[in-house]
Amino acid sequence: MTTYPVGLARDLPNGRVMRAGVDGVDMVVWRDSRGTLAAWGNRCPHRGMRLSHGFVRGDRLACLYHGWQYDASGQCRYIPAHPDLNPPESIRTVSYHAAETGGVIWVSLSEGPEPPEMPADFEPLRTVFVTASEAAVTAAASRTGLEGPPAKETAPGVFDIARRRIILFCNPAGPERTEVHSLIEPGASSEEKRLASRWCEAVRRTAEASERAAA
Amino acid sequence: MSLEYAQNDWYAVGFTGDMSDGTERQSALLGRKITVGGPGHSPWVRDENGADLPVQVRYNHVWTAIGPEPRRLFDIAEADEPDRRFVPCGAVKVLCSPLRAVENFLDIAHFPFVHTDILGAEPHTEVSPYRVEIREDVDEVWATQIGFYQPQAAKSATEAITTKYEYRVPAPTSAVLYKTCPPRPEAWDVIAIFVQPFDEDVCVVWPWMALIDETTAYGDLVHFQQEIFLQDRSILENQIPARLPLDPKMEIPTRSDLTSVVYRRWLKRKGAFYGALTHAA
Amino acid sequence: MNFTLYNYVLSGNCYKIRLMAALLGAKYENVAVDFYPGYEHRSDKMLALNPAGTLPVLQAGSLVLTETQAMLTWLAKNFDPTDSWFPTQDPERLAEIVEWLGFSNRLTQSAGIARLHDMLNWPVDGDAAKTAAIHDLRAIELRLMDRVFEGGLWLAGDTPTIADIACFPYVALSPDAGIEHDGYPAIRNWLYAVRALPGFITMPGIHYLHELNESASA
Repeated sequence: MTTYPVGLARDLPNGRVMRAGVDGVDMVVWRDSRGTLAAWGNRCPHRGMRLSHGFVRGDRLACLYHGWQYDASGQCRYIPAHPDLNPPESIRTVSYHAAETGGVIWVSLSEGPEPPEMPADFEPLRTVFVTASEAAVTAAASRTGLEGPPAKETAPGVFDIARRRIILFCNPAGPERTEVHSLIEPGASSEEKRLASRWCEAVRRTAEASERAAA
Repeated sequence: MSLEYAQNDWYAVGFTGDMSDGTERQSALLGRKITVGGPGHSPWVRDENGADLPVQVRYNHVWTAIGPEPRRLFDIAEADEPDRRFVPCGAVKVLCSPLRAVENFLDIAHFPFVHTDILGAEPHTEVSPYRVEIREDVDEVWATQIGFYQPQAAKSATEAITTKYEYRVPAPTSAVLYKTCPPRPEAWDVIAIFVQPFDEDVCVVWPWMALIDETTAYGDLVHFQQEIFLQDRSILENQIPARLPLDPKMEIPTRSDLTSVVYRRWLKRKGAFYGALTHAA
Repeated sequence: MNFTLYNYVLSGNCYKIRLMAALLGAKYENVAVDFYPGYEHRSDKMLALNPAGTLPVLQAGSLVLTETQAMLTWLAKNFDPTDSWFPTQDPERLAEIVEWLGFSNRLTQSAGIARLHDMLNWPVDGDAAKTAAIHDLRAIELRLMDRVFEGGLWLAGDTPTIADIACFPYVALSPDAGIEHDGYPAIRNWLYAVRALPGFITMPGIHYLHELNESASA
């Protein structure tokens, strides 16, 4: 049992909702208006609507279909069709475990697994979804450069490119799908981040080309 | 899933208005390939082997059946009223079970959230108790005594009204709605969907209307209904499981869902399982 | 300045103009053209107005416009007292806006066509359109990430322009063709910002931001 990187904390502001896939489980990850993070099964128990299409009001996530509202613990608190009804306790979402460290959001299916040790002060770079295996992505990262030699992997998942260190966190989403979330070392200028972003793009191109060639 | 029940229903597979002599369209029905050909006034439908399937033209659509004993196609009396305007709205493909498409059509609690400022608006979200029954003489599900506050009930509506609704399900994949007709409150406007199952997870929906409205331009009538149906499409494509669960433990209804509860019970009773999930798997 | 819009409710291109007009508070006469299933855009009357047979068409007096890019510039120049939606003084910013107007045409051909294929069974190459749409979405994501690194949000400069409105519809509607926004966080954020603009109106496939609804009771 492990914990998976599903996104960069910067990309999920307060009051916002995103979809995540963890170990084959479709999830909704969201923050209430004060920033509290939660991860649930991506399904409203009413009529099965994906909660990742929902909206946040205060400390509740509402389903887009009929507006049913759930509090942070996953308990249904309000059903608009019956405004005076106190929803039975049995109406709740399936809860998972979300945490954020080092600017990355981590989700696990059960309590226990801790996110890895994160370097202090690294900044969020970007998220790319790659249609290639995790192995293809890491191989591509070591083969891809930007107007110069390819990146050097100086530690597992840590790549030096254009004199800046970038860390890649991979969430394997299938045999040919990898979600890659990257951080960049502190002090990088916006121009350096633009270059690093293009390096990520080039890594994606290389990984996907090699996946297609292997097919 | 067994076709035993589904094969003997009639399904809309084309709209006569856009079929001419040489029209020939590839389509699918209940997992089988079919070809639908024109002209619209005397269309044909053939199965994957080129054999002719039975055809009838009704409600501006071409209907066919693949089974050995097709049931009688249901009747909508308003289709024969000369002062109505008939508005076929074309076909929309949706990645969902045909039964999910019908159930969504029968639901009103979603109006304020999905058809915002048209068929409903917050804070007018409460659904008052209404009546649902299976009319045994015709073997149809009927929901009556429904009322809902609507900012714009129809193109012909000039202000917000509390619309009266009745729903009727004459076959598992067709549904008819009777709603307050703003220009003539003693009559009903009729809106229907005829759902063509490509297979259990993909369908094509053919909305159709029989309206009393002498003033609205035809294009506006089509747009109004298409707007509403297409608002539902992104909901339908995001319901899990894709197939309609008939086991009551899988999804949690409330009183406002009475029509869907009875619809699911009726499907189970008939053995109309195509597009359904029958076990909490 | 009165104008008439020949419009189809499900068209992303028509929506560009409906949306821009709503954001500017510009009123117009709406003519509902039965694009599907009536193919009315190909009628003699419509072809006389626009030989290209496309929608939307904008008519203001003797002026007839058939390209959405032109309509967006005309609306901005006629209805925007702040002159912020289509600023023309700074040549670089102007060029950036026009570049995105050009890009918006690619989106119509990629994401727009993929959507017509999946939704209305249009007889086109859906797979090719989807591949092109993903390519275009990645290009926008890359550019929006550049903006994030600069502390910005909008496609061309620090305030929304017609560049954003031109590109918004077919990006927002890509899920209609099965292309979800999950892998594009910068696009998600940008779409949200457009939807939060005062006067924003939706179209089928794009939902209201119910979280911003002040008349909700709970």
